[in-house]
Amino acid sequence: MGSSIESDELYDRLGDAVTTCGELLGGTTVDRWEVFAKNSLTRETEISGGRIRRTIQVEENGIGIRVYDQGRAGFAAVSGLDAGAARFAVESGRAGAVHGPDPMPPARLLGTSDVARGPELPPRGWAQHVASELEMALSAMSDNVLRLGRAMIQEGRYAWTLHTGDGWSARHDRTVASMVVEVQVGDRPGTWREWVHVADPAAIDAEAVASRIGNRALLTRHNVATDRGLHDLLLHPEVSAQLVAALSPLFIATDVGQDRLPGLLDRNGLLAAYALTITDDRSDPSAPVVSPCDGEGLPARRTLLLEEGAPRHRVASYADAHRFDELPRGGAVRLSYRDRPVSGLVNLRVLTEDGMAAGELLAASDRALYLLRPLAPVVCDLAADSYSLIASGVWLEHQRVRGWHPVVELRGGLGTLLRRIDAVGSDLCWFETPRGFVGAPSLLIRRQPVMG
Amino acid sequence: MVRHLTRQAVVVRRDGWRQVTGPPLVRLEDGADRGTALVAARDQPLLGDWIRAFLEPPPSRTWDPPAGFKCPVVFANGTSGPLLHELVGHMVEGDLVADGRSPLAGLAGANLTEARLTVTDDPGRFDLPGAFSCDDEGVPANPVVVLREGRLCGWLCDRETAELGDTLAGRGRRPDWRYPPTPRLSNLVVAAGDADPDTLEAGLTHGLVVTRLAGATVDPVSTRTVLRVERGFELRNGRRRRTLAAFELTGSVTEILAAIHPAVGNDPTPDWRLGWCVKDGLPLPTGSEAPTLLVRRLEVL
Repeated sequence: MGSSIESDELYDRLGDAVTTCGELLGGTTVDRWEVFAKNSLTRETEISGGRIRRTIQVEENGIGIRVYDQGRAGFAAVSGLDAGAARFAVESGRAGAVHGPDPMPPARLLGTSDVARGPELPPRGWAQHVASELEMALSAMSDNVLRLGRAMIQEGRYAWTLHTGDGWSARHDRTVASMVVEVQVGDRPGTWREWVHVADPAAIDAEAVASRIGNRALLTRHNVATDRGLHDLLLHPEVSAQLVAALSPLFIATDVGQDRLPGLLDRNGLLAAYALTITDDRSDPSAPVVSPCDGEGLPARRTLLLEEGAPRHRVASYADAHRFDELPRGGAVRLSYRDRPVSGLVNLRVLTEDGMAAGELLAASDRALYLLRPLAPVVCDLAADSYSLIASGVWLEHQRVRGWHPVVELRGGLGTLLRRIDAVGSDLCWFETPRGFVGAPSLLIRRQPVMG
Repeated sequence: MVRHLTRQAVVVRRDGWRQVTGPPLVRLEDGADRGTALVAARDQPLLGDWIRAFLEPPPSRTWDPPAGFKCPVVFANGTSGPLLHELVGHMVEGDLVADGRSPLAGLAGANLTEARLTVTDDPGRFDLPGAFSCDDEGVPANPVVVLREGRLCGWLCDRETAELGDTLAGRGRRPDWRYPPTPRLSNLVVAAGDADPDTLEAGLTHGLVVTRLAGATVDPVSTRTVLRVERGFELRNGRRRRTLAAFELTGSVTEILAAIHPAVGNDPTPDWRLGWCVKDGLPLPTGSEAPTLLVRRLEVL
């Protein structure tokens, strides 16, 4: 099955919804308007012991509308795509409008509407097949030490259309997939849990996924060893991703009073070491969120946020860009039809073009703490220039594992940490964090204080 | 920012339908830090006091307890509620028990702690955020005693895991209509003991007292818990001395339970700081009320 609604019929329904809204708005005093209609279909299949335990399929439709009516700006969202939903959205958007500037970008800034269609959802049975392949691959790569507990395979397809009263329109659809894998490690109690982004469901490589999970999970079999003091750190991409996510407020436009970035820069104007370059890019086909334009219709582009350690640009919605004196670069995020577009990051990514292979990174330090997985979100106090990172890791000596450190904490100066990044790996992986999707590689950081 | 949260739901089953109601909630967010919030039932009589405490600026002069420092820790002001939410509440949820992910699986009837703690999951407490009239599978709200005088005696189950464990359902909860019900706790209520909380602090030569927690997690790999302490004091010879900076405490689930001192405070206090619980990425309102407890040994991270 591809979708519960065939694509053409789906686009017809989305198109009908925005047409109805447009007709209703045409007979009013509204100066400018924008209608966003979206359909999403998600399917989660839980598999354990080779059997499907549960399948959850959810379909959701809705309309989000922004109006600017005689100096008043309004937003409303309504579930459903029928004429009643369209009427209610228009009425609610106008009724809830308040005095303020027009938040919508002018038509001249909007991007293309020439968009290719995404593929259909994988066929039924794909999830079970993937779990079965993964189970065999985990077992084979670990001499039966790793056992697949549960796999939750998540597949989704969404389609949206965005129309403005100026006659501009865009539409887009896309298929996405990911999985949550839970693995038992030998006889040790506890479960290893990992989220894996699947960029192309048709080309998934179960052995590569098993290798990615197993290489880390097996390290927790070593005897416990603890240490403290100043040590080199090797951050697994998942830990790096949490760190980069914690920095994300620095890359979103804000007013001068709330801006923490100047206080974190060194005398050369650097936030981090030369090795670190960070972008936000919704045009990257390998990233979890891809679209032709941002949540308001500005063309998708790569925004350089940090270049060789130096801050460059910040993302902003059109209204925030105007408010905070930034150039509008297409930084509006609209997670659902229920949400108005706001300034935000979509695919925050560390560039790895010059990254070192994992083996070279391991060889770069005789003695290091390799942080395997975060145990809590990394906390950065941007005002106080400090960070706290709680993770589990292993101690490495001459590239050999000395022992597993189940809970370890690092605390210190945030700027110092970022400026001691010595090397970036080439092993970029995507992760879902509380602040959105982050693509990060391994990072080698010199001499940081390790506690307990 | 202040958000008002209300939820209306109906569960329709072959044998009839039931309306699901919960207390209207209020969520107060600190504009400067989106990670900091207060969640409480709107009709909670102490809400005004809690808002004042929430808006207090952090102390300016603080002491950082050294990493690796192992000491007794007093959990005051209801902070033992979130502690037991992690150590006991989640660990008796039917799905974790059924597939062996809980360190308490297989310990039914065992004495987990020498403290004569009686811990009840009570969705009928409408002054706490986790209350409901019936769960999201239409089972009327019923309190479940999970720990009676320190002995493990109950599980929190939805209909599916109740069948597996031959126990009562009533904890099938959904974050919203898009998700199926899974076993989740509601309001964890710890019965009062008879110890004056001041005596728990007075008996310590050197230790810490926690007055506000910012969060708590259990690592599924190591089954160790990490408690994020937001406010507290150093104890010297039974008296509160220096104010603590934010820090973390850690220990394994079963070790912390075993280290709870037999004397239980006589001051059950609702916690206001953590009215929201996230499991497998899915948030739900939960609450707790607990007296002051002393854990004889915890490690500062």
